[in-house]
Amino acid sequence: MREITHAFKIDRDKCRGKLACMGRCPTQALRVKDGKAEVISELCIDCGNCLKACPSGAISATTHSLKAVWKNKYKVAVPSPVLFSQFPDGISSAQIIEGLKSIGFDAVYILSVENALVNKAIREFVAQWKGPFPLIPPYCPVIVRLIQVAYPGMIGQLLPIEVQRELAGREAKRKYAKMLGISTDEVAAIHVTPCQAKSISIVEPAEGAKSYLDGGIGISDVYNAILTYAQSSKESESKIPEKDIFFSAEMFQGVLRGQRRNLHGFHYIPLTGLRNVIHVFDDVEKGKMRLVDFLECYACWGGCTNGNLTVDNFYVARSKLHRLVTELPEKSPVIEAEVEKRYSSQDFFLKAPLKPRSIKGDMGNLKERIKRIKEAEAILTTLPGLNCGLCGAPSCKALANDIASGEAKKTDCIFFSKDRLDRLRSIYLTNKK
Amino acid sequence: MTVYSEELFKRVFTVYGHNFDTAGETSTEIKSILKGLEIDSDIIRRALVVAFEAEMNVVMYANIGTVSFVITDEAIDIEVADEGPGIPDIEQAMQEGFSTASDEMREKGFGFGMGLPNIKKNSDVLKIESDVGKGTKLLARIRLDSNA
Repeated sequence: MREITHAFKIDRDKCRGKLACMGRCPTQALRVKDGKAEVISELCIDCGNCLKACPSGAISATTHSLKAVWKNKYKVAVPSPVLFSQFPDGISSAQIIEGLKSIGFDAVYILSVENALVNKAIREFVAQWKGPFPLIPPYCPVIVRLIQVAYPGMIGQLLPIEVQRELAGREAKRKYAKMLGISTDEVAAIHVTPCQAKSISIVEPAEGAKSYLDGGIGISDVYNAILTYAQSSKESESKIPEKDIFFSAEMFQGVLRGQRRNLHGFHYIPLTGLRNVIHVFDDVEKGKMRLVDFLECYACWGGCTNGNLTVDNFYVARSKLHRLVTELPEKSPVIEAEVEKRYSSQDFFLKAPLKPRSIKGDMGNLKERIKRIKEAEAILTTLPGLNCGLCGAPSCKALANDIASGEAKKTDCIFFSKDRLDRLRSIYLTNKK
Repeated sequence: MTVYSEELFKRVFTVYGHNFDTAGETSTEIKSILKGLEIDSDIIRRALVVAFEAEMNVVMYANIGTVSFVITDEAIDIEVADEGPGIPDIEQAMQEGFSTASDEMREKGFGFGMGLPNIKKNSDVLKIESDVGKGTKLLARIRLDSNA
């Protein structure tokens, strides 16, 4: 099986085996063997809970080198709308854009039109959709991966409409290639992202196709450079009206209010925070929420403005977004004309259908698989049921399953092996004499 | 010659009527077993909807019931037997939107008359027998090859 690229990596030297990550992983993708955390790649959904939980600083976000990207003839930044909510009052959006260019980008592509296009496509799609309900948009890469791994039966409920940043990447390449008379391959489109998951969705798209974007760079990676630039930049740049950059409030409606307005008249529920999402998905899976048309989910509580690569306080950032929205007209003839032009001629569907992720390789025929779960159930009845994690699995049930599938031994449980206890003592107490 | 399918796995759950606190636990457990078996995700989805609706029918209307969950080499069988009021007119109960649910149940988000129609829609075979005043027996079968 091909190795899946993930957003996080564990530094084995720094890992002290504190088990915190294992308890916080929503898909039970972590095991702590011999005092070192390991990830089961097929189960990881790139949510980042482990990174936040680790007390040893051993888990870090994978940074994908943009070196190759900088070699391109022409580099276009495609910033998430969240970027413009991150800077102190007095720094204008024009200064933020110029700040991006000061880092080395040749141009900055604003995805206002893509927001409007996707809104239109969603509205039309929802209106004609016959079920299964509710529809779930694929805009948060963690949510898509959660469904692929833990709720495969809901895969048909994922809205097949491409995300704004991808469409913007495609358009940016097309636009600048045409303008400069070069090939689209010579134009690199780089997303300035509020979270690691979006970066990884560019490297490893969930549908298995190739992203239109060439890479992602975190807001926190460019923040200081932009701030420094803006503080010493020309007064005139701070005076450029927001309207001349974004044209309409549609640029920010999505990160601020989701699809609530766009889907007026439909039964719409917004949902943020991975724990909340999992709670509701358990109901969706039983068919309990069939009367809901659209369930907009984000893994980060509060949505993308609270992504792990953002810098500013979530509440301050939101207040800034509210202000940007009030400063902008609701609709703009410029955006509407572009939508009119592009909507009929462009494709807005995902590049390939989303499929459940295959978790295990060959598991044998049904009889063998049943034999294995019966074995796991029998083992489970003999385990202490404390879910202490010292065996290295997140729960007794997980250990029982691991034993039945040959990936662990019963003697990994300290109740069955004094050797195991001694071994743990030597790992955890060596420096505490 | 009749070929009987071989029973590979069986689990029986007790479901208590009018107990909304534990409602849904049986179907959650069934889902967990089926997921562990790496059965086709669409078959799991259908089995889960059938199990949940059948379980909720017991919770809403009956005093007590059992859910037997059987996997054979050909199918998933979900058999529910309850002690309760029974269904006087099964044909009517199978119609979408027909419901005898109380306001309380509707407030909880149930009783929209979709229970039995949903079970029928998601199963390959459905048999219902009911004895008014005594109880109801339901067998829903989802064939393992029905998505092949």
